[in-house]
Amino acid sequence: MHGWGVQVNRFKFFLFLAVMAFFLEGAVAPVSSKVYIDIDSPSMQKFPIAITDFVKQGGAADRENTSMWFADQLARALKITGYFNIIEKSAFLEKPGQGALTSASIRFADWSVIGAESLVKGSFQYSGRELSADFLLFDVIQGKLIAGKKYTGQIQDRKNMVLKFAGEILYTLTGERGVFDTKIAFAGKKGRISDIFTIDYDGSNLLRVTNHKNLSILPNWSPDGKYITFTSYKNANPDLYIVNSGGGREKKLSEFKGLNLSGPWSPDGRSLLLTLSKDGNEEIYILNTQDGSMKRLTYDPAIDVSPAWSPDGGRIAFVSDRAGTPQIYIMDADGANVRRLTFEGNYNTSPRWSPRGDRIVFESMKNGNFQICTIDTNGGNLVQLTSRGRNESPSWSPDGRYIAFVSTVSGRAKIMIMNSNGSNMRVLHEGMDNYLNTCWSPHLNFD
Amino acid sequence: MRKSSLLLLMLTIVLSFALVFAGCAKKAAVKETAEEKQAVAEKKAAAETEEEKAAKEKAMKEAELREQERQKAEREKAEKEKAEAAAAAAPAAVSPIAGFEYIYFDFDKYNIKPEARETLKKVADWLNAKENSDYNLVIEGNCDERGTVEYNLALGERRAQSAMKYLANLGVAKDRMSTISYGKERPVDPGHNEEAWAKNRNDHFVVVKRKE
Repeated sequence: MHGWGVQVNRFKFFLFLAVMAFFLEGAVAPVSSKVYIDIDSPSMQKFPIAITDFVKQGGAADRENTSMWFADQLARALKITGYFNIIEKSAFLEKPGQGALTSASIRFADWSVIGAESLVKGSFQYSGRELSADFLLFDVIQGKLIAGKKYTGQIQDRKNMVLKFAGEILYTLTGERGVFDTKIAFAGKKGRISDIFTIDYDGSNLLRVTNHKNLSILPNWSPDGKYITFTSYKNANPDLYIVNSGGGREKKLSEFKGLNLSGPWSPDGRSLLLTLSKDGNEEIYILNTQDGSMKRLTYDPAIDVSPAWSPDGGRIAFVSDRAGTPQIYIMDADGANVRRLTFEGNYNTSPRWSPRGDRIVFESMKNGNFQICTIDTNGGNLVQLTSRGRNESPSWSPDGRYIAFVSTVSGRAKIMIMNSNGSNMRVLHEGMDNYLNTCWSPHLNFD
Repeated sequence: MRKSSLLLLMLTIVLSFALVFAGCAKKAAVKETAEEKQAVAEKKAAAETEEEKAAKEKAMKEAELREQERQKAEREKAEKEKAEAAAAAAPAAVSPIAGFEYIYFDFDKYNIKPEARETLKKVADWLNAKENSDYNLVIEGNCDERGTVEYNLALGERRAQSAMKYLANLGVAKDRMSTISYGKERPVDPGHNEEAWAKNRNDHFVVVKRKE
């Protein structure tokens, strides 16, 4: 990584979250192999969960209404996953903020009768500037604690406390940790200018990464989340740049005459893919991030563009119009064994390989408009996920459960997120003139 | 990380103390000068003569003029900025090759259409004319808004390359020409219909005077 000459951003957000195992009731049952929610089941029902306001402990006043804030933010985070049905507080039989906190004292019958299968409770305490909070997850049916964590930090750390425990809840109930520690990078357009931005998975915390007053497009995260590569017209040619993902220092990586289009990093971070037109013909190249060496992968007089790695780094999907229309092809990582993947329709582009390895998402022209589709890596099982307006630039979440994309309905563009089966669509960002590309970050571990 | 954050914290504390003290000292100093000025002014007022009055009026007039000039400069600056912004938004002043600065393409195609040949001939003739020999040509390739950003960037590059090859065959020196693809990012017409799309699938020819 040092080969880049880009300094790691040392002014990181200092998090002093002391996370401890929580042994309030003797021993927390080890995470059982029980799967409460089978995400993969086509008949998955939303899982009913109740979240009570947190109980304030100690003498210090409840600054900023933390009691309700914890419960509401946790509900919001879980709701976004699309897996939960959050039970309305008005249905609760227990008085708010007064409830018991141990499985011995909780009246589980009061919760099962309103349909809750899981129950989240918690308490918090201020001491000076420090905030400590206990988060507890109970199995209502079995009447026992199934996850518990204590977090200690400053008040501004409370959002991360919520997101961390949301990850714990998801892990306990589904076996997966979710995407609570991820961001989405995109190119946002205002007039004739576009810049690279990042935003948290839940639509908060918009951050401008570039300010070139020109066209900056095609953001791609490094696998450690520290850098973003992108293409910018800053110097009157579409050149490749790298920047700290939090913004700041940047460096030009390649400036061949013609296109220098930013492509994805390999899963091991040792190389990245790019498209160059330096020989008057768009070809896909692989750039070694360790020594800066470059290798050409495609040799075809047609357009070859938009490369995407398989999660094991062994294969590359890309777009070529070698058969007359843009279609998706797959080749080995050394350029050998090229085979065509898509045959339906005459415009299939923007492939991205699922982190789970089994599906490729892409955009396809259907009745003159573009729609998001997925397909097995052997070309079978083609599924169209969107149908309203124009939908482009798909990108997978690092757990392969969600897809971010740009949706334009009646000329208004938005960044949307949906579950990988096309359900649970929500707006991530809107209000800019246009959005060009989305790229979901790897897990950032609340850095 | 721990060590550096501790250092940072200490530095912050030291700095903030320094700032507080500096602030106090400055305030005290300012107060003192104000009191001095007042005293001087009082003395002066007592001994003011007609001459001084006239000088004062003159000074006031000059100050007024200066203020007017400042406002004028500000207005001019704002107008200049406005003009620059407008220029940035619509960079096209009148081109020396106005009337033959665009050729058009079909959807997802980069072949030169027969009706574009006449335009290309005009561009080549203009560039080959002796009086224009100090001009270079930038060919900007553009696409309509449909389809992928990346594929359209490639397509735009192809459209620009097609024209460059054609012009080279008409005798324009290759070293006088360059291409740049904007894909679908620089539409001429912001509309979302076939009429707009047809205009946006183009090569835009820009002639630039060579720097000596």
